[in-house]
Amino acid sequence: MADFASPIATYDCEQHVFAAAQHIVKALGASKNLNDDVRRLLADLDTHLSTMTIITETESRGTRELEEQLKFAQQKIMSLESNRAMIWASGHEVASEYLQAVYEIHRLSESLRSLLSNRSGKQKELLEQAHIVLQIAMERLEEELILILARNKQSFEPENMSFRSCEDDVVYEESIASNEDDLIEDTPQRDSSSTEPEERIIDLVHPEVISYIKSIADVMFASRYDQEFCHAFINFWKDELDEYFAVLRCDKLSIEDLLKMEWRCLNRKIKKWIRAMKFIIRVCLASEKRLFGQVLGEFGSVCSTCFVEATKGAMLCLLNFGEAMAISPLRPEKLLSLLDMYEVLADLLPDIDSLFSEDVGSFVRTEFHELLMRLGGTARATFMEFGNAVASNTSTNPFPGGGIHHLTKYVMNYIHPIFEYASTLNLLLGVQVGEEMVEPIGTVDWQNISLKSSCPVARHLRWLTSNLESSLDNKSRLYKDGSLKHIFMMNNIHYMVRKVQGSELAIFFGDEWIRDYTGKFQQHATSYERVTWNPVLCLLRDDGNLGKSILRERYRGFQAAFEEVYRNQAGWFIPDLELRKDLRISTSQKVIPAYRAFSAKSFPVIGDKYIKYSADDLEDHILNLFEGSSMSLHSTRKR
Amino acid sequence: MPATDNQGSFLNRISIRRNQVVSMDVNHEQELEDLELFQKHVVDRFSDLVTTQPPPPTAADSSPDSALMPADTLLSIAWFRKLLDAFLCCEAEFKAVLIMGRDPTQFAKPPLDRLIPELLDRTVKALDVCNAITHGVELVCHWQKLAQIGVTALEQRPIGEGHVRRAKKSLNTLLTSMTFDDKENNSHGGKSTERSWSFGRRGGGASVNKDRTAGTFRSLSWTVAKSWSASKQIQAMSSNLVAPRGGEPTGLALPVYIMSTVLVFVMWALVAAIPCQERTGLATHFPVPRQLVWAQAMIGLQEKIGEEWKKKEKKGTCGLLEEIQRMEKVSQSLVDFADNFQFPAEAEKVEEVAAQVTELAEICQKMDELVPLQQQVREVFHRIVRSRAEVLDVLDQVGKMSTPVLY
Repeated sequence: MADFASPIATYDCEQHVFAAAQHIVKALGASKNLNDDVRRLLADLDTHLSTMTIITETESRGTRELEEQLKFAQQKIMSLESNRAMIWASGHEVASEYLQAVYEIHRLSESLRSLLSNRSGKQKELLEQAHIVLQIAMERLEEELILILARNKQSFEPENMSFRSCEDDVVYEESIASNEDDLIEDTPQRDSSSTEPEERIIDLVHPEVISYIKSIADVMFASRYDQEFCHAFINFWKDELDEYFAVLRCDKLSIEDLLKMEWRCLNRKIKKWIRAMKFIIRVCLASEKRLFGQVLGEFGSVCSTCFVEATKGAMLCLLNFGEAMAISPLRPEKLLSLLDMYEVLADLLPDIDSLFSEDVGSFVRTEFHELLMRLGGTARATFMEFGNAVASNTSTNPFPGGGIHHLTKYVMNYIHPIFEYASTLNLLLGVQVGEEMVEPIGTVDWQNISLKSSCPVARHLRWLTSNLESSLDNKSRLYKDGSLKHIFMMNNIHYMVRKVQGSELAIFFGDEWIRDYTGKFQQHATSYERVTWNPVLCLLRDDGNLGKSILRERYRGFQAAFEEVYRNQAGWFIPDLELRKDLRISTSQKVIPAYRAFSAKSFPVIGDKYIKYSADDLEDHILNLFEGSSMSLHSTRKR
Repeated sequence: MPATDNQGSFLNRISIRRNQVVSMDVNHEQELEDLELFQKHVVDRFSDLVTTQPPPPTAADSSPDSALMPADTLLSIAWFRKLLDAFLCCEAEFKAVLIMGRDPTQFAKPPLDRLIPELLDRTVKALDVCNAITHGVELVCHWQKLAQIGVTALEQRPIGEGHVRRAKKSLNTLLTSMTFDDKENNSHGGKSTERSWSFGRRGGGASVNKDRTAGTFRSLSWTVAKSWSASKQIQAMSSNLVAPRGGEPTGLALPVYIMSTVLVFVMWALVAAIPCQERTGLATHFPVPRQLVWAQAMIGLQEKIGEEWKKKEKKGTCGLLEEIQRMEKVSQSLVDFADNFQFPAEAEKVEEVAAQVTELAEICQKMDELVPLQQQVREVFHRIVRSRAEVLDVLDQVGKMSTPVLY
């Protein structure tokens, strides 16, 4: 909108002429003689002057003229002053004329001031008049500015932000029905980043009015009312940011309240905070920065100073939430949320650095960097703390049935989503204790390193599982029955291996770990067979003695031992079907051939009525083991 | 387990130091010595803060000699800078006394097993106070800008009605902002408050000015929840603050008590001086036993500030900060001048106003120190966070030694 172009150019020109003329007069006063060239030049000037309408012909005439001009401009300004409508609403022409009149007043007051050397009463009066009118106009413009902003601010719809308030658990009315809320539950699922608000700059006010706002800024700055303009402008945007907080349902809570908050509730707040961070910084602040540039860009550092002043409070509020999280007690369930928070900050770091690149913004920048470091430290400490807690986890009672201990499940499910955070965690875990955290992102190509099983995450995962293993080992000592101890270890280690194999984490653990741990649970299976069945099978050993009563005795012994095993072990549990089947088969392969060999030789001697189980019966029983439900051993004698 | 898994940085340091100590007696003597030194330093630092200067001048039209007052008048920005410095020094030393070279198992035994959690609780509250103060300083910076407009306008010569009107407008906004009541402020902090920008004298609704003034106050609502009260916070911090009794084996109980008192005092003084949400009855919330030798200087300061607070509280003060108080008075006096202004001004009046404008300009200049003050408040915040973490670290180590953590 060129309509609002400032008439300052003509005014500048006048000043130039004035200064030059003063210079000439001074020079002429200093010299007594004039050469021809100068004389000719001055004569030229004289003819020039005589053809122009001369303001300075006489002092009083000049004053009169100024007075008329002042009256004219004043009328323009005062006529609109009595009009209750907004200037802007009265059309571009009116607005443009008004602004012209304000420039005129300012120009006149400057002229009057420069003429004021002889202090004529009339000029003083006029100057006083000009200042009053200028003040009236400035007040009006300040008001106008706020009205324009308020009426033309674009109400944004955070379409891909769906926020639920923690207290009432009601879906935010204006949000598009959200699928994401379901993910807020405790499942270790990561929010898909594809639905996040992307970086975009929006129009905070209707683009049509920006040039008008700018022209208000121009005339207020030209009239040295820059402080008033900045004050009104900053306050307006400060309040707007406050409003965005309300729209984003981002409650301001004290650190004390946040530390006391129940985890589920806090977790929701974290999700909201993450989105608010992105939205406020990427969208609101970026857009605000652009607007400030459009309006104040040509006034130099004022622009960035105003921007920082308008946004600092909001930034501190956002960061404060992070501070609270960073000092909250280390709990393993917080790890992923902390990593999410860390990642969003790391992600926003370049935005912050560019938004607050100037010196005045260093406060915000420093706070942001510091929080990033602190959150990183807390996330790292949480992970380490978890590892230590796993190692020191103790039980007082043996885990019933030898199944999968909940610690094993917890740990293996806990580490499952870590793959997605691998590069961040590598960065955090790569730092030695006591060392200052290095600047994240971009310094080292962790993406590459993370693919190796020797990266920090891999080392820590293996450390964690070895802690788990030793903790399980301690728990297995609680079993009085040595066989059950092996079943327990076999089950749990098998579970670990299967979990690792079935996930992306396998590349961190590496083939060697998998081989190693597979060997371990197989070893436990073998040990189980040995510990349980060797003594039983021992009774069937052929020692060449075929005496009827001896054989009968040994068979009765075997039968009792088998029943004892069965009674003990029927309640044991191998949850994994494959593993259960394998162990049954390998057990039966160990027991049945020995039984067949014994029965072939001995049954005829012992006599049918003493035989309780056929080989098939035995096999059936063995193939019923490890179901986890105690079944009574009933005689299945079928002949 | 890789080396990075070792978390016991503190314990390592402690055990090294303990191995160097020959016997427990020497250790104990060292402890007493450290304690005495800490106590002495607290006394010294607070004695430095006691100024012989009287409280800020009471009359706005007092001579501009006030410009010549020393930089560290009680409750001035410069004084608070010194106070926060003192706090940071005491805190550093306290941490050394509490943690370095101590047997961490003390933390698990009485009286520390109770005192340390209480201390930690206090520090969290102090963090919230720091935040409130940071935002309060923002508001004062905002006042500084309004005052600066008044200065700019009234520095013009010859002084005319236009200038006077300009100054009056901004100083009136400033004064309204300063006397804004906490409770009103709260109601404005609510997001439910529908702002009606679409009014104004053009729209025929509420006056633009009024709403704009309210707008300047919303900045206070940035701080925390609406129900948060600085006064309650200070009260909660000091309510369980009990001096260890003479006869008891105090050990570390005394430095914990001293540091807590220093912490509460600093937070209390900040809350009294800088605009803060809800401060009713602040003066009575922080009783320090009179008989303590080390606390004499602090008690003196507390009495003076407490008296000031009682004097001003009824008037609904915006803060005891010396610069704020003077700014309010000078501004009020300039607004009175503006109300009765007639062009051309009498030479005598002009001279009088010129002196006040100079004072206001000088106050504004002093308020440039608000920026470093705010940074210092943040430094205090971060320091408290770090120390808290270190104490928790020790507690954690102690905890591991005694009871395993169950998940």
